[in-house]
Amino acid sequence: MKRVSMISLVFLLALSALAAGCSQPAGNSSQADGQGMDDGEKVLTIASGNDIVGFDIHDHNNTSTEAVHVNMFNYLVRKDANQQIQPDLAVSWETVNETTWRFQLREGVAFHNGDPFTAADVKFTLERVAGDNKLLEYGNYKQIKEVKVVDEHTVDIITHAPEPVLLNRLSRLGSGMLPSTYIEENGWDHFLSQPVGTGPYKFSEWIRDDRLILVKNDQYFGDQPKWDKLIFRSIPEDATRVAELLTGGVDLAVNIPPSDLQRIEENQGTHTVQGSTQRVMLLAVRMTDGAVTADHRVREAIDLAIDEQAIVRNILAGGGTPTRTRVTPGNFGGHPDLYDTSLYDPERAKKLLAEAGYASGLELTLSAPSGRYLKDKETAELIMAMLGEVGIKANLELLEWSSFSSRYKSKTFHELFMIAYGNSMFDASLAFDRLFSERAKGETDYNNEEVDALLTEAEQNMNPAEREKQYQRAQEIVADERPQIYLFQMDANYGVSDRIRFQPRLDEMLLADEISLQ
Amino acid sequence: MKRYLVKALLQLVPVMFLITLIVFVLVHVTGDPVDLMLADTATDEDRRILTQALGLDQPLHVQYVRFMSNLLQGDFGQSFRYDQPALPIVLERLPASFELAIASMIVATVISIPLGILSATKRNSIFDLFITGGAVLGKAMPNFWLGIMLILMLSVELGAFPVSGRGSLFHLVLPALTLGTGIAAEMTRLIRSSMLEILGQEYIRTARSKGLREAIVINKHAFRNALIPVVTIMALQTSTLIGGTLITETIFSWPGMGQLVIQAVNTRDMAIVQAAVFVIALLVIASNLMADLVYRYLDPRIKYD
Repeated sequence: MKRVSMISLVFLLALSALAAGCSQPAGNSSQADGQGMDDGEKVLTIASGNDIVGFDIHDHNNTSTEAVHVNMFNYLVRKDANQQIQPDLAVSWETVNETTWRFQLREGVAFHNGDPFTAADVKFTLERVAGDNKLLEYGNYKQIKEVKVVDEHTVDIITHAPEPVLLNRLSRLGSGMLPSTYIEENGWDHFLSQPVGTGPYKFSEWIRDDRLILVKNDQYFGDQPKWDKLIFRSIPEDATRVAELLTGGVDLAVNIPPSDLQRIEENQGTHTVQGSTQRVMLLAVRMTDGAVTADHRVREAIDLAIDEQAIVRNILAGGGTPTRTRVTPGNFGGHPDLYDTSLYDPERAKKLLAEAGYASGLELTLSAPSGRYLKDKETAELIMAMLGEVGIKANLELLEWSSFSSRYKSKTFHELFMIAYGNSMFDASLAFDRLFSERAKGETDYNNEEVDALLTEAEQNMNPAEREKQYQRAQEIVADERPQIYLFQMDANYGVSDRIRFQPRLDEMLLADEISLQ
Repeated sequence: MKRYLVKALLQLVPVMFLITLIVFVLVHVTGDPVDLMLADTATDEDRRILTQALGLDQPLHVQYVRFMSNLLQGDFGQSFRYDQPALPIVLERLPASFELAIASMIVATVISIPLGILSATKRNSIFDLFITGGAVLGKAMPNFWLGIMLILMLSVELGAFPVSGRGSLFHLVLPALTLGTGIAAEMTRLIRSSMLEILGQEYIRTARSKGLREAIVINKHAFRNALIPVVTIMALQTSTLIGGTLITETIFSWPGMGQLVIQAVNTRDMAIVQAAVFVIALLVIASNLMADLVYRYLDPRIKYD
């Protein structure tokens, strides 16, 4: 009760101060977050649209959560800013045979609680995710059969089948090394509330849906961490996130709506940065017998009717790149000819439709999520208008994400649905995942024996040059047959304070030590 | 009095039972969390495994019976998103929401009592017109818009208050103003009308004819009695408050129950939604009960038996 009366008293004071038109910068302590200097501390504050899911690194598939985790945990190998594989907790590696990889581990590394990092931790971490099918990342690690401890600082990772992309697997979500002794002694729940890693920053405090605070790890094995404190704030409302950046409450804000970019540029002390991402927006096309889109001329007409460049320019404020493949630059097996290009040609689209017997037009349904991706609703509406221009009457079905994903799961969309896919593996294999005839059943019903053969071979091909050729060939076929019509690669929009230097990464990770004071 | 209380508490049981049933059915028939949880690369096999692990492959009535028997032991199930028991997560958020609710109530009271009285005593004056007009406006302004406007004006332009988050008392000002405005509007109108009614009554005329000073008449005689319906309204505003916190907490990223529920609905975190609705329902019922009791205490003419 005392507290309530206290609150009300102070509140009244605050109100009267407000009424008196007294606009003193209130709460200097709170504003200091963004000043980066709390008692001489170097603080970096980053705002994103959602909170991290938690600290079970094997049980989420959320890029923005991983973007935070990379500051606390290390992988065996990591990707640098150019997507090249670099040593991290492993200093070297070799393939012993088709299914065995040997890793030499870095010596003298300690977890935040002081435990030394050894081969036992690698075994514990990878076998947990490869052996528990209830974990969300299980599907990306089940290829690992076992991890053999050779000695304290050497491990053999043995896979069920040849695994050309093992290094890609081990440098992404779910590969952060966990402290086996700490977890075995204290239990998993304790780890979830007091997580421990080997990374440059260690856990300090997490207030759900508000903020996560990490502090510098002085014992870090690599270069000394650049910041004393990292604050990751969760601010779901776009307008609020932008306002925090404008007032200096945060140094970096992710997911800025295109409409606010100009305002941030014009504001004194802030600027914007756009960076490519792994996400590609596409239309998946039903090729089932009896659907109008079973005719390849209709599919081509749809592709030719859409002006990707106009979508990127008008809706995304230039934040995207038209593409005819899902394997964009920075991924293994990409096809440069199919990237940064579009086949917009409405006249030819009309001709094709006439040839296919739809001179007087045709009708189909386009389903799209609303509120899931940047400007998804507006993109779908513009596509609908563009299809209308060539005589395709598209009935637009906009769905909120959970209804969309139910329909997606039950494969009950009609002729077209719009979706954006990422690629955390940085490898072409993942981009074809749903185009195997087996997986495409009921969705696109794409069925091409040559593509199936190419994908099956490439999946286990340990010769990189050959493997790349196989994937490029597959992309050519898919670009021509159009079971999926690729639209554009999406950019991420960041609002940045002028006091820091920030270069976005293709994988959207927010590595604090790649961000520096100006 | 005792009898009334016992009766009220007995009525609580079927009401809460119905609420759990309705929420359970709604949460379960409107969608499935599994596809939201799985990665794009997941196979149908992965789906089946996860569905089974969550017990969602059972028929609905079986799931409900399991849910109820756990609930009776105080277990609301596991949150999918946090992989922890749901109830503690919900309760953890109560203080933040209470803080915001109480502050908003204070804002509403501080604004509405003087304005309501002024408006009634200066009936049909320019003041009255201004205040009643303002009340309509305050009621009509959506919280969402008001919150963003306050941020733009008071934080971005003037730098007077922090934009969002919870920390110092200054962090509380904007969300409390946002949430308090609508309630203040409603209370102002109520105080005005109940004051007017009382000012027209016999005993006020008597007091005036005895030559008492107007200030004493208003403050001592009229206002006291005018407060009776206001107290009730304050308690009944709990549900408005809860609805308002959903939006307001999201705008100001205030880590309370409102934001938790919104996030839980978006991620189809069934256990959290169920636990939160249960707790909210209890709070609403309790505050209505409180309102009844206070009303009864203030106005002995009311009988419940």
